[in-house]
Amino acid sequence: MAREPRRFNLTASRYLQAFRQPKGIFAATVIVVLTTAAFLAPAVFPGGYDQQGRDALLPMSPEHLFGTDELGRDILVRSLFGLRTDLTLVYIAAPITMAVGTLLGLIGFVSKTTGTLIQRILDVIVGFPGLVLGICVVLVLGTGFPALLISIVVIGLPTFGRLARAALLSQQQREYVTAARTLGISRSTIVVRHLLPNAVDAIIVQGAVFIVHAVFLEASLSIVGLGIQPPQPSLGALLNTGMRYITQSPTYILGPIIILLLLAFAFSLLTDALNETVNRK
Amino acid sequence: MTSDTRDSASVREDQPLLRVEGLQVSFPTSHGVVRAVNDISFEIGAGRILGVVGESGSGKSVTARSIMRMLRAPGQVDGGKIMLHGRDLLNETEATMRDVRGKRIAMVFQDPQAALNPMMRVGDQIAETLIVHGTRKHEARQRALELLHKVGIPDVERTIEQYPHEFSGGMRQRVVIAIALANEAELLIADEPTTALDVTIQAQILKLLVDLRKDLGVAIIMITHDMGVVAELCDEMIVMYGGRVVESGPVRTVFNNPQHPYTNALLRAVPRIDTPAGHALPAIPGSPPDPARLPGGCSFHPRCPVAVEKCRTDRPPLEVLAPSQRAACWVSASGGDVEALPMPVVRTRTTPEEPGKPILQVENVRTNVGKPRHPIWAVNGISLEVRAGETLGVVGESGCGKSTLSRTIVGINPVGEGRITVAGRDVTRMGKEDLRTVTSTIQYVFQDPYASLNPRRTIGQSLEEALSVAGVKGHAARTRSRELLERVGLNGDHLDRYPYAFSGGQRQRVGIARALAANPKMLICDEPVSALDVSIQAQIINLLEDLRDDLGLGYLFIAHDLSVVRHLSDRVAVMYLGRVVEMGTAEEVYGAPQHPYTAALLSSTPEPDVDARKRERIVLAGDMPSPANPPSGCPFRTRCPIGPLFNKDREICATTPPPLAVTSNGQIAACHFAGELAAAATV
Repeated sequence: MAREPRRFNLTASRYLQAFRQPKGIFAATVIVVLTTAAFLAPAVFPGGYDQQGRDALLPMSPEHLFGTDELGRDILVRSLFGLRTDLTLVYIAAPITMAVGTLLGLIGFVSKTTGTLIQRILDVIVGFPGLVLGICVVLVLGTGFPALLISIVVIGLPTFGRLARAALLSQQQREYVTAARTLGISRSTIVVRHLLPNAVDAIIVQGAVFIVHAVFLEASLSIVGLGIQPPQPSLGALLNTGMRYITQSPTYILGPIIILLLLAFAFSLLTDALNETVNRK
Repeated sequence: MTSDTRDSASVREDQPLLRVEGLQVSFPTSHGVVRAVNDISFEIGAGRILGVVGESGSGKSVTARSIMRMLRAPGQVDGGKIMLHGRDLLNETEATMRDVRGKRIAMVFQDPQAALNPMMRVGDQIAETLIVHGTRKHEARQRALELLHKVGIPDVERTIEQYPHEFSGGMRQRVVIAIALANEAELLIADEPTTALDVTIQAQILKLLVDLRKDLGVAIIMITHDMGVVAELCDEMIVMYGGRVVESGPVRTVFNNPQHPYTNALLRAVPRIDTPAGHALPAIPGSPPDPARLPGGCSFHPRCPVAVEKCRTDRPPLEVLAPSQRAACWVSASGGDVEALPMPVVRTRTTPEEPGKPILQVENVRTNVGKPRHPIWAVNGISLEVRAGETLGVVGESGCGKSTLSRTIVGINPVGEGRITVAGRDVTRMGKEDLRTVTSTIQYVFQDPYASLNPRRTIGQSLEEALSVAGVKGHAARTRSRELLERVGLNGDHLDRYPYAFSGGQRQRVGIARALAANPKMLICDEPVSALDVSIQAQIINLLEDLRDDLGLGYLFIAHDLSVVRHLSDRVAVMYLGRVVEMGTAEEVYGAPQHPYTAALLSSTPEPDVDARKRERIVLAGDMPSPANPPSGCPFRTRCPIGPLFNKDREICATTPPPLAVTSNGQIAACHFAGELAAAATV
């Protein structure tokens, strides 16, 4: 009874509560630092990711923190440029997936048949392992950034579609939805006004999970050679090349792995913090 | 009750079975310590039935759980004694308590659905209790069969293998009681055991409890909010308010001469089945106190009509005020009269005598809630009419189709057959224009005020949403929302609060305000008070009556509570299995019920009157059949006390469905033998 009214405030400030706890602060700091470093990389290293040095396959050293690659390029620089590619990809893919998936999930309230049909299609997508599906999309559309983007969105859609549908199914039987209908409010208005707000929490939390998932997906596709193509770096492409030199320079892949893990760790913590915030009783 | 059980109980009265002394329970929370139970003392003798009456937050369930030493975290007992046969349960080890639970004291819960494991056969669940307390496996099954038979479950050899979902609500509660009785406990704690059940099923369970007490000598602590159940069943009672006992004593004495104004108000605030309408109910103002913020002095003083200055500052002790009766009240302690209540307003209504134009006409409507190919007719051919300023009460038990009917009228369920006319327009097809007519004419008040408001929207937003449909927007909507809130007795400044800041009764007022937003001519009230505390029900009923008389609204008032329907309704329709079985003015239907089902419903309703205990009851056997598989002929014949079950020669009931027709004395009922049971049921 005596709870703060802002608990149900639907503005972003509600989610910002997540950044008041140590977990959230830490996650946010790491994400901000990594993102800034990635997107400032072209400015800091005007030479770009292709500047070659004299020594190839150097181990980690104060000069080259992550060592150098087979052409003598600094792996730290390449990792940052790679991270930039990855982050661009997921920062575009995640919101699209979240929005489209939610829409597909909630459409069932406006048209029952369409909703069911969409769910069955999503079920089929889930039936394929993510990587196999990604390979299929890339084989059809060819390699490159747009194909990668599309395959990530397609793989992510079922998760959000089903989450939104779960919220729909649990809420549409509630009396306040019936109440809105007896008032004569249209179904699409009810979706936006009453059902969407109840799906948003789960969607946002899942969104943070999905970002990690998407980065790993890019890495997986690149490792099998279907992701970002050289010379453009991506974390996955770096790992792909690094694996080939694993006997000559075992530390080659360490740098990209550290960045990948750091990113994954930060987003997992963020998920956790968001989850605790939205589910706080 | 027979006289010898009373005697044998009174012999042992000096050695009570259970004595609770000065029990204190608190819940430390982040907002501070909530004292849920404050210094409670009572006792119960072997084979007695003690009624514990109170509203939500009064501490009655917490007391029950403390006796079992099963308080939910973070609850803790801060003081007092719980003496079972002279041994303090609070000092026992957890191992000993496990032995006490189930074997000495057993518990029956409100929701039998939640109390049974859905994945376990009922036989195994009973046997589990037995085996835990040392019965051998092969004996356990035999004993489980006996127990199921004892609690009145038919065909035990077959039903023992079934799962809980194959049982109806009443049958499940019987299984729960069988489990409680498995180890011959001496004390049964029943926490609102019939609240979730229908009236006719409640009558069955109450009868079962009385029989079990007689046969097994088990003592029962009956926790309830229903004064009728107490009057029907209990020997002694305690009334709880704000975590304290405010009155205790033998049921007859307390009912006839309440010493605490709260007890008195509770007894008066309930509409009675045998009193005709015409008076506003003497409602208790305000709502039950939040246990976290109890008022100082006597916790009832803010709502008390006779409170004096001393009540605000000093807490009254529980004193002996009459022979064997105790109460905690300064006024009655000093000889004052606690029965003085503000005189109820006599209503002056003109509408029923000269009813207005029909707002709603329903003709032979059927509603299919199954598949198109395998229809399930939840509403099976119903005709009724509601006029301006008039209340049509619809009575029936769960599953009779009363909610489906109302949802069909507002277009949520499609009309299968028949015709619905709203404000002169045929809206059967429920097209866009039809729906507009329906929503602007008829509005809906829902049962659960917690579910019918979106928790994420302020009540202002909820009201403005309703107003926007009616074309009122922007600043005008805001002003109108304030008016609406004030119209239903709430503070107009509270528009920006979220629903959780309001109590149940206040939320129901918001729900009514929202329904009024579009200036409807008629309200459908679907069980509008059944989820509310007793003292709040009267407030909402009064509000609904005021609105009807002031605005000339027509009501379709749906409820399972016959007393509430009688109080509000001009005409009453009784529903059974998707059909109307009887219809007429409230006086006719309640005074001389023509259909045996109506008679049984009336007879099953517990009345807050100890003398009503003597009357002969019609306790119906079994449950309502499923509308998916209705019986041939008369839908009621499978339970009918005058039908082919008891009169073998009445084959007509199984072959020919009785039409809703005028009976010999001019009333309307659907029965081949209408009027036969009327005499027996008249109170």
